[in-house]
Amino acid sequence: MIMAEPAEPTDLEPAADAPVAEMDLVRRAQRGDLAAYDELVQRYQERIYATVYHMTSNHEDANDLAQDSFIKAFQALKSFKGGSSFYTWLYRIAVNKTINFLKQRKNRTHMSLNDLDFNTENNPDLVALISDKTPRRDAGLKELQEKLNAALLKLSEPHRLVVVLHDVQGQSHEEIAEIMECNIGTVRSRLFYARQQLQSLLTDYLKPT
Amino acid sequence: MKESENDFGTLLKFMKLKRHETPPPGYFNSFSGQVITRIRAGEAREHSSEAPWLLKLVQAFEFKPAFAGAFASALCLLLVFGIVYAERPDSSPQPLLQNSEPLSGSFAAVSPSSLPQPADSIGMIASNNPANSLQPVASLFGSQNQFAQPVSFSLSGN
Repeated sequence: MIMAEPAEPTDLEPAADAPVAEMDLVRRAQRGDLAAYDELVQRYQERIYATVYHMTSNHEDANDLAQDSFIKAFQALKSFKGGSSFYTWLYRIAVNKTINFLKQRKNRTHMSLNDLDFNTENNPDLVALISDKTPRRDAGLKELQEKLNAALLKLSEPHRLVVVLHDVQGQSHEEIAEIMECNIGTVRSRLFYARQQLQSLLTDYLKPT
Repeated sequence: MKESENDFGTLLKFMKLKRHETPPPGYFNSFSGQVITRIRAGEAREHSSEAPWLLKLVQAFEFKPAFAGAFASALCLLLVFGIVYAERPDSSPQPLLQNSEPLSGSFAAVSPSSLPQPADSIGMIASNNPANSLQPVASLFGSQNQFAQPVSFSLSGN
């Protein structure tokens, strides 16, 4: 009988020990080990913060909501049975918290945008977007940033979430469907509609390159 | 899908701008520490709380929205029932002075000439109860009270 050799882990498939390590951290955190939970927070803090920030366009709100999400996740950790990955479960908490916050804050949006990093001007796609008539390149990018965030805030929360998760954070349709607890078709249709709306809102800035 | 992404090509390039929005330098260095500090503070507060049942109720509301909804519905029902019950008119109001005994000898002497004509002389009595107002009633004082009787007090010393 010929035994098949175990396949080498690829880039697409996470290494076998990665989820085990995560589940180990989760089990320790469920027993009240704060050092283990600290490691989980460090592992996902940037992604959770970024999602909340892109949804709110406000750094202070994103800071509060991201921290609250991690605290709520710790308090509810005993109810986590491992039906989905910890990351997906955590994302759901953060997304629900953010959507509830945005619904409460309806029509009282206040942008507090983070600065663009120094790599922005080296991105050829972004440089191409800046009008030749713009006297200063910095001013052009800043203006584009504000217009883009204002347009995003005009989308409904589910449409904004899909476009943020897919087009900004690069998550797959399947991952988004799992986070939003809907089917992939819904994700695709929401993404298409959200892009259409953004395109019409930003029509003055979207010149063909 | 590929076709639609081509349609949104310029928009997708524009969206890349969002990836360059970064929080202040060093922001994430203290993030997890702040979360853990807040968790510890919450646990300490929970242990020293004088009303742990209230905290448990609030937590139950947070994690089980259906429970919160049921609790709120029960409160609303209770409130509505209370309002309806409070506004229901009394079924059988007792007529004023229906069984009152004639009062006698309990009033201080007053000269009848100094008083206005009593209401009983016209057989009417004023009341804020519409059921009883303007109803003819018997005299409060009776016939023997037409004239005041002098009352003499004698104080017995101890």
